[in-house]
Amino acid sequence: MIRPATLHRLAYPRVSSNSLARCRAIPKRALSSTSPTYLNEHLPKSTSPIVSNPHFFNSVTPDGSGIPTYRVLDGSGKVLEGAEVPEVSEEMAVKMYENMLLLPTLDNVLYNVQRQGKISFYMTSHGEEATIIGSAAALDNQDEVLGQYREMGVLLWRGFTLDNVMAQCFGTEEDISGKGRQMPVHFGSPAHHFHTISSPLATQIPQAAGVAYALKRDPERRGKNVAACYFGEGAASEGDFHAGLLLASTLPSPTVFIARNNGFAISTPSSEQFFGDGIAARGPGYGIHTIRVDGNDILAVLDATRKARELSLRDGRATLIECMSYRVGHHSTSDDSFAYRPRSEVEDRKRIDNPTLRFRLWLEGRGWWSEEKEKECKERLKRDVMKSFKRAEGVKRCEVGELFGDVYAGEEPWMQREQRAELASLLRKYGKVWGPWKKELGKFRNEGEDLMGKA
Amino acid sequence: MNSRLLLSRFGASLSAARRPAARLPRHALPAIRRYATSEQHTMTVREALNLAMEEEMTRDENVFILGEEVARYNGAYKVTKGLMDKFGEKRVVDTPITEMGFAGIAVGAAFQGLRPICEFMTFNFAMQAIDQIVNSAGKTYYMSGGNVPCPVVFRGPNGAASGVAAQHSHDYAAWYGSIPGLKVVSPWSAEDCKGLLKSAIRDPNPVVFLENEMLYGVSFPMSQEAMSADFLLPIGKAKVEKEGSDVTIVAHSKMVTHSLEAAEELAKEGIKAEVINLRSIRPLDIDTIIKSVKKTNRLVVVEGGFPMFGVGSEICAQIVESEAFDYLDAPVERVTGADVPTPYATNLETLAFPDTPLITKIL
Repeated sequence: MIRPATLHRLAYPRVSSNSLARCRAIPKRALSSTSPTYLNEHLPKSTSPIVSNPHFFNSVTPDGSGIPTYRVLDGSGKVLEGAEVPEVSEEMAVKMYENMLLLPTLDNVLYNVQRQGKISFYMTSHGEEATIIGSAAALDNQDEVLGQYREMGVLLWRGFTLDNVMAQCFGTEEDISGKGRQMPVHFGSPAHHFHTISSPLATQIPQAAGVAYALKRDPERRGKNVAACYFGEGAASEGDFHAGLLLASTLPSPTVFIARNNGFAISTPSSEQFFGDGIAARGPGYGIHTIRVDGNDILAVLDATRKARELSLRDGRATLIECMSYRVGHHSTSDDSFAYRPRSEVEDRKRIDNPTLRFRLWLEGRGWWSEEKEKECKERLKRDVMKSFKRAEGVKRCEVGELFGDVYAGEEPWMQREQRAELASLLRKYGKVWGPWKKELGKFRNEGEDLMGKA
Repeated sequence: MNSRLLLSRFGASLSAARRPAARLPRHALPAIRRYATSEQHTMTVREALNLAMEEEMTRDENVFILGEEVARYNGAYKVTKGLMDKFGEKRVVDTPITEMGFAGIAVGAAFQGLRPICEFMTFNFAMQAIDQIVNSAGKTYYMSGGNVPCPVVFRGPNGAASGVAAQHSHDYAAWYGSIPGLKVVSPWSAEDCKGLLKSAIRDPNPVVFLENEMLYGVSFPMSQEAMSADFLLPIGKAKVEKEGSDVTIVAHSKMVTHSLEAAEELAKEGIKAEVINLRSIRPLDIDTIIKSVKKTNRLVVVEGGFPMFGVGSEICAQIVESEAFDYLDAPVERVTGADVPTPYATNLETLAFPDTPLITKIL
């Protein structure tokens, strides 16, 4: 995360991150050395030059400083001196901005809906709108996305409808992600090239390397599509992260790894999550082209992701982007973050460095956005979200028998058939005569008749 | 239950001294030709597995193999021998030594439409990847509402080998057998291996394919039918290897060898044992066992795993819950590995698993 003091600095900022504060307490040892080098001598299986001085190093930058953070727009929406604005049309910029507004609109409604007990769980994207929408806009819509769970914005960008979102969160029969078999926000849609979200952390990272390997094997998509893999800086502590990056770099496979460093792994601040220079420092360890970017600057994220994608496609190899942002919302509806961070820190952050406001100021500077448009857009989005939410409340669940479906593809084994038959016989006996069951069956499509048969 | 298990175990230890030649050297398990018809090919389990993969890779371009040293080194147990030369490095992929990494690659590639065969050097090491196998491969088809199938085969040696101590000797049939969404196969003969591995590769579901290191070099007869490139055995069906009327012995993997040998011994005393080769752990072919128990009225389950919550326990429970219970003339008996981490000392290790004399004695 970026310190407020650095936000209005026009010069290219050096890394200045609370999460890295602890590392800076120890002076970094640079790799460069003044000792004599014996260039013609090597050890077996090594191209490492031989030197005569013992020299430890603890940095991936030549001078031992922290890894810099790439930024295009400052906190007031002005382009940094020397920065190049990535190519973006008015239409695309406005679409990006509207998606940045849509995310919190949806988040606010669904967060409150969870608080009312109408859905079991929810996770907001507050504070990470620029990271999510900026990267989504840079990807080709056919690129395979493997998300962690806070990437609903990628799906929205690709045309996943509000009704699709509501159907998944409410687990209705219209849920195209999983027939109501997943917790809210665990989206998935083959049509949108978005792989089903998996709750165990970081499993998507090696899987992304496998997906990209399959893309590379496919003559139709080789050199055209990458696998884009999102994860938080907390997930990067899992063994899967290291395994995934290692395998993507050795196979190799065209995978764009996008680390959302939002400062917190649930309650654990990133300063306790790692001692080194963030996630970016790990990329070169795996021979992966790496960049750290200001995750609250949508133009920087857009540009970095586009360039990473190009590199991955050109070389058929992995790239890593570390997006620095701040999780303004709680981890999930199961979390109250004010137990471990002061409310004022969050309020300050929202005020000082709002990624949406930053982009809006830039848009307004170009004459692409205005107060009237802002008002009209927010009202329209809220109306659309509320309409979709109210509609979803009245939609039934899948048929009861779906409980046993899709355990296996192909011919159904006896275990599922037997269980379905057992439930059917119980429903035939009690489904229409015992109040609680009768009432519950009313929530399902065809009210249990798929198992009981018609009355 | 416990008393019987303990008795079996101590019974084995106590009788061990009195049967010095009872145990065959492990590398010299005899080729089993007894149940074959004449003029047949023979093939080792290793060759059968290799042939199954070769045929399926020829048939379907999407099939590929990955794992530690499966390509240039031909596999730690040479099961993938020659495949890299035939299909190239893109379809036989050496990976770094990270089980969760290459299992994750396999799962991701399967999600994306390929048909990976993921070799573990042994299933003991697959513990480092079990989240990918259980939570990702096993559950995604269901949780994605049928959107995302995961046609992957996880294969490698499982269970006790010889002199490799507890961390290389675990039988995981019961672990994977308890997961809805996985299919689990534990083949015995060369025919089993060829027909079942080919079916596993073609199956749209994740299949855990549990081989046995001690059987890799054992030759079995191969029927004309089994030599065909179209030879498939159905997953979820057991095979009655030997018919009998007095007692049913159910076994899988290497324990089928011992059970058949025990049945031969018993035949000398006029006892006709029926031996069922389970072939599949999940789906479990309980119908074949029920049918047999109704005929023989006695059931003994033999496995190389631990006794508690094992494959034998599950079979026992399902029989007790079925109509076969009323046909039983005696309690169901489980013959299993000892309830200790597998000993390293050869003499203790030998006593820790069922063998032919022990099965014969219990029967």
